[in-house]
This record gives sequence, structure tokens and C-alpha cells, in this order.
Amino acid sequence: MALFVKKSRKGGSMKVAKVLVVLLTIALPLMAFAAIPETGKKAKTIDELAAKYDSSSCKTCHSEIYEQWDKSLHARPIFGPLESARTLGTIKNAITNGMMEWPYSGVKKKEDVQIRHLVTCTKCHLPQLVEAEDSVAQEIVKYMWAYIESGRTDKKAEEKLTKININCLICHNRNAMIHKWADGVVQNDTVYGSKDGSHASPDFPKLKRAPEMKEPTLCGQCHGLGPQFELDEPTQCATLYGYYLWNYKADGGAETCVECHMKKSGLGHNLQSYRSEVMRKMAIDLHVNASAYLWRDGTILTPLALVRAEIVNKAGHAFPDG
Amino acid sequence: MVLYVTIKTADGKEVFKTEKVHMPVPQLLGRTEKMGRGPYEKSGIIRDTAFPPRKTTVDEFEVPLYKEEKKDGKTVRTALAEEFIVEVELWYLPHGEKDDPGNNFMFGDKFTKKIAFSKGRGW
Repeated sequence: MALFVKKSRKGGSMKVAKVLVVLLTIALPLMAFAAIPETGKKAKTIDELAAKYDSSSCKTCHSEIYEQWDKSLHARPIFGPLESARTLGTIKNAITNGMMEWPYSGVKKKEDVQIRHLVTCTKCHLPQLVEAEDSVAQEIVKYMWAYIESGRTDKKAEEKLTKININCLICHNRNAMIHKWADGVVQNDTVYGSKDGSHASPDFPKLKRAPEMKEPTLCGQCHGLGPQFELDEPTQCATLYGYYLWNYKADGGAETCVECHMKKSGLGHNLQSYRSEVMRKMAIDLHVNASAYLWRDGTILTPLALVRAEIVNKAGHAFPDG
Repeated sequence: MVLYVTIKTADGKEVFKTEKVHMPVPQLLGRTEKMGRGPYEKSGIIRDTAFPPRKTTVDEFEVPLYKEEKKDGKTVRTALAEEFIVEVELWYLPHGEKDDPGNNFMFGDKFTKKIAFSKGRGW
């Protein structure tokens, strides 16, 4: 900075302009890298975070896909199934049975919960939460308690907790580029898919091919390998990608998550697992037989039944996981 | 996943019931021999009985169906009945409770078969 001031005094306004151009040439790409995926200022409320990742405009042209997604748990990742809200209950348990019990978590009461605490769950259940301030963590906790303590009837809490989700903009933008050094970082004006081109949307006018959009690595970012050791308190929710790598691919399996869960199932963006009868039938075959027989040991005949069950796992991962 | 095996007499009296659980058994906070349950407390594996991909897992049950008594100083094992009904079901219970609507999922069809011990000496 001292050098800049010295030169500008000596060389006049043209030199200042040249230096500015050079600095901006260097700084602008760096600023772009620094700004993505954390776009701009952090959200202060659930509504602001929902607005930041509002994918409702996608419905205009992609209504069928949007409706498929809306039936999936990706549409309610911190809430869970509408009829039970089991995910919400599990996250609440993580706070009450985990964080409030551990001496060094910094959480003695629910008002102490910050983003850094919720990240143990939301790294996958709501990855964009890192782009919010602690006030959003507090709002989530407030509605979480309200919903469960109301006997799962508080409609306002339900509405708030289901409006933040893993929608089009998470898989097709925020989390679309995995190998950022090889393929570049996500751009805010771009939708990522299987081809390059233009995209008829004022907010996302560009379409770019993401090399791993159809690869298991995209899903593996969340449906993962096991404990997340990068967190202060590692959690282990999903282990599917680990099973996929070491039990399925390593054994000669050739299909991908997309091929089974989206294409063969016919469910498209309604990504389902055991809650779908289609997926249950695709995953497991059960063959059973039973017979009666008499075992002879000398003069003693022993009446026995033999029951034999064969369970064939046709999925690309172990079942269940976790 | 839980495999339930039940054997009843023809008139519905239950003479055998068992269940076998298949799942990864996570290690509590990645230490000791204790099992963890919530995702927030799991960081390892103690053992794994989940169904592996591309494999067939066989569960076999040999079930005694007799009462034993002494007759003239000899051990005699008599079948509890002539006929039995064997039932097998495979369920996924993500929260461990079968009676949990919305969180209990049956895989495949319920297996039901009548088995019997024939009368006479067999020749």
C-alpha cells in the first residue's frame, strides 16, 4: 500500500489507473473464487436462507421433475417424512442426548446451539446452512422444539422447517462441482447438468456440464463413507458410498446410484430408498423354505423343523447402512 | 433388518418364535466395546451383519418341535403336533420398533407353509 501511494504521487493519475487495472486483474478472479459458493452476506433468518436457495422458479419449465423432487426426502431433509418428522426428532436427540451431555460442546441449553453445532447434522441434511448466521440455528432450534412439543401439530413450525431443503440449486449448483481444481468452482449464474449451453432463466442463464453429475461421487458427498472426521465431533449417519466402493464396485458391480434410484426405478428426481415399494422390490429378494424331519440318534427320534431363508441383496450397497 | 420366524400348531398355538437382526453395529464414539445408536454418537463398527451387496445371506433355523419324557427307562421325544404352520417375514425397522406406523417396512411377501410329521413307522 505504501508503494502504491508513493508511485501515485510521483507518476500522476495515469500511473494510478494502470496500477488499479493490474490490481483488479489479479483481484477479480480471486474474489470470484472467494465468493463461491458462499454468495454474499450470510442469511440472518430461515426465510433469508430459503430465499437465497429458492428453486421455485425451476418449476415453471421443469414441473414434472420439480413435483418428483417434492415427494422425496430431499424436499424435507431436516424435517423427515411429513407423517412422522423422524429426522427432526433425531436432530433434536443429537442436541439433547449428545451436545447437552458432552462437557466441551458449549451447549448447556437449547439457546446455546450455533451453526457449528448443527453442522454435525446439516453438513449433509442442509449443507447451505454454513451460509447462515447463528440466528438461523436458533430459529431452527426454536421451531424444532415448538413442533415436537406441540405433538407435531404446529403448522407454522412445519412450514418454516420444510422451506429449507436440498433442492435443485444444491445438486445442480452449490454441490455440483466436486473436483474444483480440475473442473473449476461453481458459478452463481450457472445451472450444472449433463451438457453445456444456455439456460432460459434470468437468474441462471448459463448451462454447464458437471463431469460428476451422474456419478456416484455426487451422491457420495452426503451418502458417505462413515465418520466425518473433519468435524469437531464426528458423526456417522450414512455409509452407503463406502459400501458402494468397497463391497459393490470392488466386487464387480457396475451400476450407479442414478441408474438404479432414478432410471430403473422410474422415480426420477423422487429419489427414494426403503420407503418406496419399488425400491424395496429392486433391492432385496427373500426365498424361504421349511420342512419337518426326524433326526435319529440310536433309538431316539427327534422331531425338528428346518427353516431356511435366503436373502439376496441386489442393491449397490449393503442394506441397511448407517 | 429383522427376520422373524414363527412356528404355530394348526390351531394357532405358538410353539417357536425368534428374530434375527441384520445391521451394522456401530461403535460408541469410536471407542471401547459399547454400541452407539444415534448418528451423533457413532464413529466406528463393532461388527456388521447387514446384507452385503451382490451376495446371498442364508439364515437357517433348526427348531426342536417335541416334548421329551421317559418311558420304560428310555428317552422318548414326541412331536408337539402332527402339523405346524411356519411363518417368515423380513422387516426393516429403522427405529427398532415393529409397531411404529410409517417406520416399519416389510420386504418381500410373508412366507407361510404347513409342515407335518407323517404317521406310521416310515416303511
